[in-house]
Amino acid sequence: MSLIELKGVSYSYPVKEGYNVKALRNVSLAIDKGEFVALAGMNGSGKSTLAKLLNGLYIPTDGEVLIDGLSTEDDANTFEIRKKAGMVFQNPDNQMVATIIEDDIAFGPENIGIEREDIIRRVDKALEAVGMSEFRRRTASKLSGGQKQRVAIAGVLAMEPQILILDESTSMLDPNGRKEIMDIALKLNKQGITVINITHNMEEAAIASRVIVLRKGRIAMDGTPKEVFASGQLEACGLTLPPVTQLSRALMDVGFEFDGVVTSEQELVEGICRVLK
Amino acid sequence: MPCIEIKNLNFTYSKKTPYEKRALKDINLTVDEGEFIGLVGATGSGKSTLIQHLNGLIKVQDKKQSSVAVNGMSATDKKTLKKLRFEVGLVFQYPEYQLFGDTVAKDVAFGPKNMKLEADEVDRRVRRALEVVGLEYDKFAERSPFDLSGGEKRRVAIAGVIAMQPRVLVLDEPVAGLDPVGRSEILALIKKLQKEISPTVITVSHNMDDMAAMADRIIALKDGEIVADGSPKRVFCNRRLIAEAGLDLPAATRITDTLKARGIDLPSDIVTMDELARELEKLRKRGLLKAERSAESDYFGKAQQDDLSELSGEDDDV
Amino acid sequence: MFKDVACRQYYPSSTPVHRLDARVKLLLTLLFVISIFFIKTYFGFMLTLAVLLIVILLARLPIMSVLKSVRGILFIVVFTAVINLFFIKEGEVLVHSGIIMITKTGVHTTVKMVLRLVLLISGASLLSLTTTPVELADGLESLMAPLKLIKVPVRDIAMIMSIALRFIPTLFEETNKIISAQKARGASFDTGSIFARAKALLPVLIPLFVNSFRRADELAFAMDARCYNATDKRTKMKKAKLGIGDLIAFLFIAGYTTVILLDRYYFRTVGIDIDLMIFGDLL
Repeated sequence: MSLIELKGVSYSYPVKEGYNVKALRNVSLAIDKGEFVALAGMNGSGKSTLAKLLNGLYIPTDGEVLIDGLSTEDDANTFEIRKKAGMVFQNPDNQMVATIIEDDIAFGPENIGIEREDIIRRVDKALEAVGMSEFRRRTASKLSGGQKQRVAIAGVLAMEPQILILDESTSMLDPNGRKEIMDIALKLNKQGITVINITHNMEEAAIASRVIVLRKGRIAMDGTPKEVFASGQLEACGLTLPPVTQLSRALMDVGFEFDGVVTSEQELVEGICRVLK
Repeated sequence: MPCIEIKNLNFTYSKKTPYEKRALKDINLTVDEGEFIGLVGATGSGKSTLIQHLNGLIKVQDKKQSSVAVNGMSATDKKTLKKLRFEVGLVFQYPEYQLFGDTVAKDVAFGPKNMKLEADEVDRRVRRALEVVGLEYDKFAERSPFDLSGGEKRRVAIAGVIAMQPRVLVLDEPVAGLDPVGRSEILALIKKLQKEISPTVITVSHNMDDMAAMADRIIALKDGEIVADGSPKRVFCNRRLIAEAGLDLPAATRITDTLKARGIDLPSDIVTMDELARELEKLRKRGLLKAERSAESDYFGKAQQDDLSELSGEDDDV
Repeated sequence: MFKDVACRQYYPSSTPVHRLDARVKLLLTLLFVISIFFIKTYFGFMLTLAVLLIVILLARLPIMSVLKSVRGILFIVVFTAVINLFFIKEGEVLVHSGIIMITKTGVHTTVKMVLRLVLLISGASLLSLTTTPVELADGLESLMAPLKLIKVPVRDIAMIMSIALRFIPTLFEETNKIISAQKARGASFDTGSIFARAKALLPVLIPLFVNSFRRADELAFAMDARCYNATDKRTKMKKAKLGIGDLIAFLFIAGYTTVILLDRYYFRTVGIDIDLMIFGDLL
């Protein structure tokens, strides 16, 4: 049994009287424990909708979403599911509830009735995992975007989830902030947390082990980053290849050869050196 | 005559309080009309403070020592200060969060109306502004701005600024938060705006690749001071300076450095991926010339002749 | 001013007063304020001043921070003082020139009224100077707990207060950004009639409102995602515990209140007039 299963999931919502938008159409997929999945698509492709279906914030209008075997449709499962699948949102400011950082991280555990000593232990661990321990007692408003998102991740980690869903968590950050968050995501994934990164940035997608591309509410592609980049369909999905991949393509046109699809600077450099030396 | 002239500009926030912070230190800057400036710097380096001096949002603190003038209008003279607002169009980050009009047309008209223009001139400007940003008047004018998509909202916000027909356009992180399609649309729009509305453009950005590709001139700030001012090649070439300023190199420059460290002979002043591709192509062809002529096809044979003439006049390093 | 109340009025330090339980401080401040209304004699006011000074000393607060809050109500105080001084007609006349008449009773009443207001505001400000907004909100939530019995949504109210406090700096920043953006398009907020100025605020208020609704939506999702309302048995990481200091503080203020009440209702009846003892015939 996969950790996350979507079976024929559709989702529509009303926009005007009698007019519905079908954000997702008959999507089926399975994600196993430990995977690092990039869920990519342009704005309007349905990726954000899919994210909110994963933790029961939205319930499918058709089909079923199962998180570790629990259906999101059953109200009784809601909080269990949200404990298992933690979500970090796009806007760093609009997910913080308390003025002081350690108070905000404690919010989740407090909500589920964890014992006081255990909360303190969880907050300590979470702060360490994101490298923000020295900011414990500081005010959240004075942090950079990247730091705020790190605190948000810590707030989710304090609930000890199996799954970390990053819903476009880097799109409002500068390049440094993005790197901070991706580094933490990779680290957590290595420690066993299943990571789902919803993004339209293909450089981020390149570091995932699997890329699922959505287009107009359907799955357009599902494979490794290399497979997806090689498909030639990214542009049709409103996405662009990472700059290094584009460069490798341009170089291949003038006689360079690479060992498969280039998804990292390292692979690019290796390939160039092999040809020129 | 220079378009923008800044002399000895200093600015301190919260003077004489425990929160005092010196945001700008002795800024001297001249910008000619027609330049496309990329303003870069770490957060807190003073970029925001500097650009808000250009349209008079932030008043010059020491009028005796410092001066800021745009197209002859001085920021230290009360009479011309008001006009600066309309001469320099400032588009803030995430400008779509500032929309307020009942309709798109009414929102875009806000600027021209504040300029006290005649009603038909206001209407003309609104139409032109929407047309330039690519929003069809008949389709969008009467809609509520809050019903639009994120990308459309941003274009309405930009239209609202260019409706004032400023001769200088300043954009703070214009593509922040956009998806790839949105990004390329807005970047293309900026180039269009420079051609059609505001000949002088200043863009603040964290994306060095964009800046290297679009800007004629890069100005780098660090702790309130200008630490670099020159063409993208000159500025990004200076690795040490860039590192000290807390900035990143463009990806192409970074990859060039990695390749050079591996012994590949590339010029040090590569700043865009296109350039890198071209240089690598040249190297490959040179390599092919040295290679034995065994498996070469006629196609390459002819290309070699063309390249030989090209190669003879080139420099290896700058 | 509102931002100050929520953010800057707290004077960070770690004194015995700062460390008192917020609930105790809330209740004692209430007791203090109520007591002030029972004061009739100058002795009472002097005692109150002494109490205030002791607390300020213990809390190591700069006098300026306390006086700042008084400055806020200065206008009201002066205004009411003037009314009292010139319009009370009872008692021994001190000055009489045309329509202006100042009586002895008038002077006493005015002085006492001013003292009452100043001491009251100072006392209340001590609460916010020594207690963080979060501690106050938590304290209020705890004190309101009995209201849960009559189905008042205490936890939600406390959450609302705490979220509101957390967003004050954010909203403040956002308002400034919106004002700058509209100014950049030529908006002017300080010219014209009152009507014109109010209208000029629309380009600031509308985006602020719209953004706030969007913010609320997003925040609600984030709170749900972290299991808000998962269970009624919500625990708390920060647990305020009552200590010896709280007992001492309670006894201190209780003692003060007792003396005030005695002075008001008992002393005179047994022939003790402390004002007379101190000031003699001056009054």
